[in-house]
Amino acid sequence: MTFAGWSTRWGLLVLILAAEFAVLEAGLRWHGGSEASPGFQSLFMQDARVGHRLRPDAATRYSTVEFSTDLAINAQGVRDDAPIGPKAPGEKRIVVLGDSLVMSVQVGLQDTFGKHLERILQADDPPVHWRVINAGVQGYGPVDELLFYRHVVQSFEPDLIIIVVFVGNDAVEAHDKATWLDAGAPVANDVAEVASTHFRRIVRASMVLQNVRLRWDLLKARFQGPGTERPLTSYLADPPEDVIDGFEVSRRAYGRIADEAAARQARTALVLMPARFQTDDADYGRLRDIVASAGGSLIRDAATDRFRTALAPLRLPILDLLPVLRAEPNRVELFFQRNVHLTPRGHRVVGQALADFVLALPRDPR
Amino acid sequence: MVFTSLHFVAFFVVVYAAYRALPHRSQNWLLLAASYYFYAAWDWRFLSLLVGSTLVDFAVARTIARTDDPRRRKHLLWLSLAFNFGMLGFFKYFDFFAANLAALGEAIGWHLDPITLHVILPIGISFYTFMSVSYVIDVYRREIPTAPSLLDFALFVAYFPHLVAGPILRASLLLPQISQPRRISTRQIAEGLWLLGWGAFQKMFVADNLAGIVNSVFGASATPGGGDILVAVYAFAFQIYGDFAGYSNMARGMSKLMGIELNVNFRFPYFVTSPQAFWRHWHISLSTWLRDYLYIPLGGNRGSSLATKRNLLITMVLGGLWHGAAWTFVLWGVYQGVVLAVARIIADRGRKLAGAWQHVALGIAMFHVTCYGWLIFRAQTVGQLADFTGRLFAGPWLTAGAWNSLVLPLLLTVSPLLVVHTYQAVHDDELAVMRLPLPLRYAIYGAVFYLIVLFGNFEGAEFIYFQF
Repeated sequence: MTFAGWSTRWGLLVLILAAEFAVLEAGLRWHGGSEASPGFQSLFMQDARVGHRLRPDAATRYSTVEFSTDLAINAQGVRDDAPIGPKAPGEKRIVVLGDSLVMSVQVGLQDTFGKHLERILQADDPPVHWRVINAGVQGYGPVDELLFYRHVVQSFEPDLIIIVVFVGNDAVEAHDKATWLDAGAPVANDVAEVASTHFRRIVRASMVLQNVRLRWDLLKARFQGPGTERPLTSYLADPPEDVIDGFEVSRRAYGRIADEAAARQARTALVLMPARFQTDDADYGRLRDIVASAGGSLIRDAATDRFRTALAPLRLPILDLLPVLRAEPNRVELFFQRNVHLTPRGHRVVGQALADFVLALPRDPR
Repeated sequence: MVFTSLHFVAFFVVVYAAYRALPHRSQNWLLLAASYYFYAAWDWRFLSLLVGSTLVDFAVARTIARTDDPRRRKHLLWLSLAFNFGMLGFFKYFDFFAANLAALGEAIGWHLDPITLHVILPIGISFYTFMSVSYVIDVYRREIPTAPSLLDFALFVAYFPHLVAGPILRASLLLPQISQPRRISTRQIAEGLWLLGWGAFQKMFVADNLAGIVNSVFGASATPGGGDILVAVYAFAFQIYGDFAGYSNMARGMSKLMGIELNVNFRFPYFVTSPQAFWRHWHISLSTWLRDYLYIPLGGNRGSSLATKRNLLITMVLGGLWHGAAWTFVLWGVYQGVVLAVARIIADRGRKLAGAWQHVALGIAMFHVTCYGWLIFRAQTVGQLADFTGRLFAGPWLTAGAWNSLVLPLLLTVSPLLVVHTYQAVHDDELAVMRLPLPLRYAIYGAVFYLIVLFGNFEGAEFIYFQF
C-alpha cells in the first residue's frame, strides 16, 4: 500500500474515532447517570481556602440504575433545602462532617441519617428546636473536613459536631493532604502545576475522558497489586507507611476540630463508619480472595480497630457503627450493591444509632 | 488468570514474543510450559491431575493402537474411561451424591453421616477430561493415529487457550497442527486480532455488565416481580452467551495469532428456529462430543421413535450434569431432553414453514423456550426456580425503579451486540465484519474499542464456564 493509501486510512480512522467520541460524549451527557456528568459536577466548585466544596444554590437531579435523587445545595454550601441563618433562641444545632457517606447523594435529603436523627431528637425533646446540618462533601477526608469546619461550618454556630470517620479510606486521604494541615489548600502557581490543572480541567470537562481516567486509575491500581489498592490498605495485616501516617494525621485534624469547636463552646463526637465489606460477607470473601491472590492478607475489621486506637487519645465520645450494622438482619440490604453507600434502610439504622448515641451523651453543661 | 486480567495480558505478550522467535519444536515446549504455568496459576496442586491424565491416556492409547486383540483393546479403553470419569466423578460429584444420599436416608428414616469431603473442583477438569477421553476413543475406533510424541499429546490436552473453558477440541483437528510446523499468515493475524477484540467486548462489556442485572434479581434477598424476572432471564441469556462465546472467540483469536485454528464453538444460537438447531449452534464442541460419544453409541436415532427420545433424554440429562453437581443442572438437562423430544414429534407431524414472518415468529418462540431453560440453569435452588416460575405468571409486573435498573441497562448493553451480531448471523460468519466497507469496519472497531474502554469490566471477572 502506498503512503497516500496509509494516510487516507489513518485519516479515516481518526475521523471516525473523533465522531464516535462526540456521539459518546453527547450520549453520556444526556443519560447522565454518572458522577462525571456535568449536572453532578456542577454541584462542586473550587475554593482557595478548602480546595473544593459544594457550590451554593446549585441543584440537579442525579439518576443511576440504583436510585434517582433530587439534590439541592443551600446558600451556605451544604446539602439542605433551607438556608442556615442565625440560630434562634431554643434552637440546637448538630453539624455532621464527613465525606460522600454523609452527603449521601443516593437518597433523598429526608431519607439521610442526619434527618432521621433530627426527627428522633425532635420527638424526644419537643421544646427544643433541633436542626441537624448535613455538612458532608463528596471526596473529603479528615484534613478537608478541618478546613471546611474552619472556613464554613463554624459560622453555623453548632452545639455539637459529629465527625463521621469512614474507616475505609480516611487514613489514606489524610496522608495525601497532610501538608494542608498547617499550610491550607495549595494554590497552583508554577508552570507545571498550572499545566496539570489545565489538563485536569480538560478531563473534567469531558465525560468520556473522565471515564477513561477512572479506567486508567483502576488499571494502574491493578498493575500495582492489591497491596496498593488504596481503600484496602488500611485493612492489610501489614499496612504501608502512608496508612500509618494517615491515622496520625487524622487524629491531629480531628483534634484541631475538637479544640476549635470547644473554644466556641461546641462539643465534638466521632462516629466510625465501616466499609460495606465489613458487614457484607460475600463482599468480604471476594475482597479477601483478591488480596490473598496477590500475597496480601485482609483483616476485616483492622481499619476500625486502628482508627479507634489512633483516636482514643483525643478522649472524645466515639460511636462505632460496625456492631450496630452487623447486628441487623439482611445486612446486604444496608448498602447499595453497585456503590458502597448506605441504602435508605441503612440510613434509618444509622439515624437511630446516632440518636441513641447523642441522647446518651452527658448533658450539655450549659 | 482469566483472559481479561492484566496478569494474562502480560503472560500472553511474553509467551507470544518468545513463540514468534522460536523454531517449531521449541514452540511446542514453550507452549506446554506456558500452559502448565497458566493452569498452576489457579492452583498448582491440580497440575498433577492434568499431568496424570495426560500420561495415563497417552500410554493407554499407544497400547490400544499396538494391540489387535479386541478384548484387550476394550479392557484398555475401559481402563481409560474408568480413570478419567472416576477422577471427574470424584472431584465434581462426590459431595453432591454423598449429601443427596444422606438426605435420602433421612427421608426414609435412616440416619447416615454424610461423608462430604468439601472437595475443591479443579478448574477445567470437565473440559480436558472430555478431550482426553475423545482421543482414546478415536484411537480405539481407529479413526486417528496416536500422537507422535508425549510432548505433542501433552500440549493437545493442556494447550492454554482452550484448557479451562473449551472449546473441547478433537485430536483430529488439533494434533496435526501441533505436530506440523505452523505458518502464520497476515490474514490469520488480522482475524486473530478481531476475534480477540470481539471476544473481549462480549465478555467485558456485554457479559460483565449484564451480571449486575442478573445478580440483583437472582440474589438471595430479592423479591422481584414477573417482569423483573423476565428481564433478568433475557439478561442472563446474553450474559452466558457473551461470557462463553467471548471466551471461545478469544481462545480462537489468540490461537490464530499463533497459527493454530480452533473450531467455532458458537454460531448465533439465538437466531435458530428449533431446539435441534440450537444444539448445532450452542457450545458446538460439547454437543458434538455428546452426539459422537454418547448419543450415537446409545443407539442415536437408529431404533424406534421411543428409543430415540430415550437416548435424547439420557444424553441431555448427562449433558446437564456435566455443567455441575446440582439438581437445577439435572432439571435443565431433563428440560432440554424433553424439548428436543417434543420438537422431534412436532417436526415429524408438522408442515414446513414457508414465510419469513413465520420464521421470525418461530425464532422468537424458540428464544423464549431457550430462556426458560436459562431460568432453570441460573436458579440458585429448585425452590427459587419454582418461586420464579410462579412469579413469571403473576403480579406484580415490573417493580418500582426496574425500568432504570433493569430494562434500560439491558437495552443499552445488548443493542450494540445485536447490531453486529445480526450482520454476522445473516452471513453466518463471525468474521463477516472484516469484509465490510472500510468506513463501516472502522466504525465497528472504534465502537468496540470505546465500549470496552469506557464501560468494560477491568476487574478480571471470572468466566461462568470455569466452574464447569
